[in-house]
Amino acid sequence: MNTVLSRANSLFAFSLSVMAALTFGCFVTTAFKDRRVPVDIHVSKVMLKNVDDFTGPRERSDLGFLTFDLSSDLQPIFDWNVKQLFLYLSAEYATKSNSLNQVVLWDKIVLRGENTKLNLREMKSKYFFFDDGNGLRANKNITLTLSWNVVPNAGILPLVAGSGQVSLPFPEAYETTKSY
Amino acid sequence: MLSMFKSIPSHMDYKGQKLAEQIFQGIILISAVIGFVYGLIIEQFGWTVYIILAGFAVSCVLTLPPWPMYRKSPLPWQPVEPETCAEPSPKPQESLKKKKHK
Repeated sequence: MNTVLSRANSLFAFSLSVMAALTFGCFVTTAFKDRRVPVDIHVSKVMLKNVDDFTGPRERSDLGFLTFDLSSDLQPIFDWNVKQLFLYLSAEYATKSNSLNQVVLWDKIVLRGENTKLNLREMKSKYFFFDDGNGLRANKNITLTLSWNVVPNAGILPLVAGSGQVSLPFPEAYETTKSY
Repeated sequence: MLSMFKSIPSHMDYKGQKLAEQIFQGIILISAVIGFVYGLIIEQFGWTVYIILAGFAVSCVLTLPPWPMYRKSPLPWQPVEPETCAEPSPKPQESLKKKKHK
């Protein structure tokens, strides 16, 4: 504390410690918050094809195409410890070979300050909905869930499933198109 | 260049050092409380950080330069005595140090 540099050093160290404590406080104020919000998913069209899967088992596999509507108000999730949300729509189903299959169909990043009201119509899935076999045909129960990762300023990275799943049956027959 | 900076007096007396430490700790803690509450209300953690940085800047201005208020109680040094009997004592110490290093 006798020279300018030693005073600057202790001042800087003290400020950093206080800032770290406040960051921890920011985490504590939001750690126990419920970040679930209702989500409305509506599937308008389901199409099923049986095509060559060149990446996987090199056999003809089931490929699903979904068209869906999605609406939700994400505003209650945002607070001062949220930088962005990573939303993803996943399909869960059981087949004979695997009791749990999870496929991510679509995702979206919502940054802080962006429009938090989701109102998407006639969305196509971003990623291929491939089964590793023929488990999609006539599957009675394919559950779509919108989940999100909350990316915080400080603290844990919660993974939350939105309330409002939708379950749908897949068609019994494959769609055959000449152009494929 | 460096000696030019070193020749600028920047020291504080002991009471001044204590006062400077109390001042910057107080300023930063107060700005931390204000920033935390303000950030919590407007839901923006960035403003909390900005307010602490402002407190940091204010306390830099207040406590880094040796303002006169930190130099009010200088130590009462003994008057300088003429150098006469200072010769014999440092030599044995030096020899001791050399032995230790070897």
